[in-house]
Amino acid sequence: MQPGVAPAPVEPIKVAGPADPKKRKLRFRGSDRARLDQKEPWIGWIFSAPAVLGLVVFLVIPIIAAVWVSFRDWNGLTSIFDSDPVGLANYRELLIDDGVRRTDFAISLRNNFYYVAGVVPAQTILAFVIAVVLNQKFLKGKGFFRTAYYFPSITSSIAVTLIFVFLFQTNGAINQVLPIQDIDWLDNPRGLIHNFLGVLGVEDGPAFLTDNEFMGLEYWDWLAGPSVAMVAFMMLVTWTTAGTLMLIFLAGLQNISPSVEEAAIVDGAGPVQRFFRITIPLMRPTIFFVVTLGLIGTWQVFDQIYAGSGGDPRKTTLTPAYLIYVQAFTNSKAGLAGAIAVILFVIIMFFTVVNRKVIRDTGDL
Amino acid sequence: MRTKKPIALLMGLALLLAACGGDGATTTTAAAGETTTTAAGETTTTGATETTGAATGDLEGVEITVWGGSSGEAEDLALTGLLETFNEETGANAVFEAQSDMTTALNTALAGGDPPDVFYVDSNNLPDLAASGALASVPDGTLSEPDDIYPSLKEAFTFDGTWYCPPKDFSTLGLVYDPAALEAAGVAVPTTWEELATAAAALTTDTQAGLAMGVEYPRWAVFMFQAGADLTNADVSEITLDTPEAREALQFVADQYAAGSFVRPSDVDAGWAGEAFGQGKAAMTIEGNWIVGYLDTTFPDKTWAVAELPSGPAGQGTFAFTVCYGVAESAANPDASWALVEYLTNAQGALAWTSAFNVMPARASVADQWLAEHPELEAFVTGADYAHRWGFAPGFGDVISVFNDQANAIVDGDGTVDELIEETVAAGEDVIS
Repeated sequence: MQPGVAPAPVEPIKVAGPADPKKRKLRFRGSDRARLDQKEPWIGWIFSAPAVLGLVVFLVIPIIAAVWVSFRDWNGLTSIFDSDPVGLANYRELLIDDGVRRTDFAISLRNNFYYVAGVVPAQTILAFVIAVVLNQKFLKGKGFFRTAYYFPSITSSIAVTLIFVFLFQTNGAINQVLPIQDIDWLDNPRGLIHNFLGVLGVEDGPAFLTDNEFMGLEYWDWLAGPSVAMVAFMMLVTWTTAGTLMLIFLAGLQNISPSVEEAAIVDGAGPVQRFFRITIPLMRPTIFFVVTLGLIGTWQVFDQIYAGSGGDPRKTTLTPAYLIYVQAFTNSKAGLAGAIAVILFVIIMFFTVVNRKVIRDTGDL
Repeated sequence: MRTKKPIALLMGLALLLAACGGDGATTTTAAAGETTTTAAGETTTTGATETTGAATGDLEGVEITVWGGSSGEAEDLALTGLLETFNEETGANAVFEAQSDMTTALNTALAGGDPPDVFYVDSNNLPDLAASGALASVPDGTLSEPDDIYPSLKEAFTFDGTWYCPPKDFSTLGLVYDPAALEAAGVAVPTTWEELATAAAALTTDTQAGLAMGVEYPRWAVFMFQAGADLTNADVSEITLDTPEAREALQFVADQYAAGSFVRPSDVDAGWAGEAFGQGKAAMTIEGNWIVGYLDTTFPDKTWAVAELPSGPAGQGTFAFTVCYGVAESAANPDASWALVEYLTNAQGALAWTSAFNVMPARASVADQWLAEHPELEAFVTGADYAHRWGFAPGFGDVISVFNDQANAIVDGDGTVDELIEETVAAGEDVIS
């Protein structure tokens, strides 16, 4: 281009420049946006179709089917559409009608309640402590410990259970190490609370506990506590799950800015104060997440029971999730199994909501 | 050695098959060509010849899927071998698919509407399956000489008056004992309850219990049978446990555990009674034919013998455990399926099958031939004459679990026979109604 000609066209371009592209851009953007707005919903659906399809087929339909089946007398052996509707009969059999199914269900609820009450606090506290320790700046070999603690979580739960069954044999490693008399861990149906009372000399409950019952189970039996065998499973699961939860806690801890900690140090807060006043409050969302995960997981415990005990000894390790399997597959009562699944869902939902409220309400420290 | 020959041939045949994979039609044909001589040899040795009874029709190329819970490689190979001979003779294409979790796999297949053509059915599962209409009943004239099958076994696969399937084999419970231990304690093989109690007490030392037996219905009930009691009446319409006879039997068993001469396997750190016996922690046990193979492989040096169960006040009694070949109601080719079942369960088929194992043929006519090969297991065979079937009504598993639960409570010292009877009767009436 010639230098003489150059200044002249530069002006108009400069003037038009900002206006013109803007206009064009706007116009372009506008029409494109409009087109997108029209197409966006179904374009979105197309992109998410594989995931949505997977969720519908493997999650939504089974959930709806489970609820539907719970209102039918289905044996699980014929087509589900050949079954007869029975209304609330399955629920009545589990919750109201006196009989073996209600008692079994009550036993499984009791067992699982103690299991949850033991495992959730234990695994949460253990995981939190390990995470705090591993989060120390000056700790050496962090990577090794992280891997070591996480390792049980990525090992097959069936394999872990079988190993634990060996460890907990009467002549197994656990009894060899413990300096007390041998315990028949996996064959002992005595409840911990009953055992404790037994030590104090209370062998049989007072009459008002043994004469009254709820869901076919005496109050005294409701208060038995987890059986020794269940305690063994509780230890197993705590050991296995703490690793995963530790990882979640560790991620949460690393999100806490060091400046907060430093500011607290400047203000003269000691390590204990910093832990309770800084770390725990800031970790509240993570704690909620971990406890919720724990509640859901522990109310659904199945693998360990399936591989380790099958509900023995004397049904003290029977859990609702395992009972679902027994009723659906070995007892041909799929409708009943569906009802247990729905009740279990309600229980988990209830505890999750309670947990959410508790953690939110105790927020103001 | 004579007994081992058919097994070896069967295994060889099956191994060849297994080596060929056998999923594609072409591989199967190739395998068949290679094994013609072996198959022919096997046929003459075991005497399994052409099928009798039902008109098999043209089975050329008909696909038959057979499912069974696998007890181990030996059983898989033996059945695959038999199916291959069947395929040789008929041109059908029967394939065995071993299932590691048979009940779950079968239930889901049935519910999904696509069950295998032929499958194992445990007598205890029969009521559930029959009541659901999943099983086809035996068509008239399909099976040769059905009256040759032990009545108690046929009855085990009869539900509401309909016979559903022929047993493939059976096992009974017998008194397995260690002759050396009995000799050392100076006791004879017990034949009555009193002798059993005395012998068990005499055999009990610090390191050895008299008798190891699981605390569960399938063991304790034999004592009820020997006392003339039973959990239910014949057609499982009524719970009949609350009788003096049942009380006497259960109390007798409970007393033995209380005295320490009977022991629960887990109390001596054994997984099951066979293990406790093999390890020498118990001098006697009440188990079935399956213990033979277990002792042979796990405790090859152990000396053992088997006697009939001691008789009680009402005579002898034992359990017969059996599995049949069921044909699905929705089988794609029922004729071919029944032809295969007939082939596997007629006299020759039953003998060929049971020769390979320690289970017994379900037909009385070949019992002597089988005994000639397994003379040491005679007590198991004689048990068939007075054996009770194992199976009740749909959903009865819950009742058995209550019985087991209460029986364990007795052994733990937390329960009584009266409580067991009360709880079990309540549960039973609940389920039956």
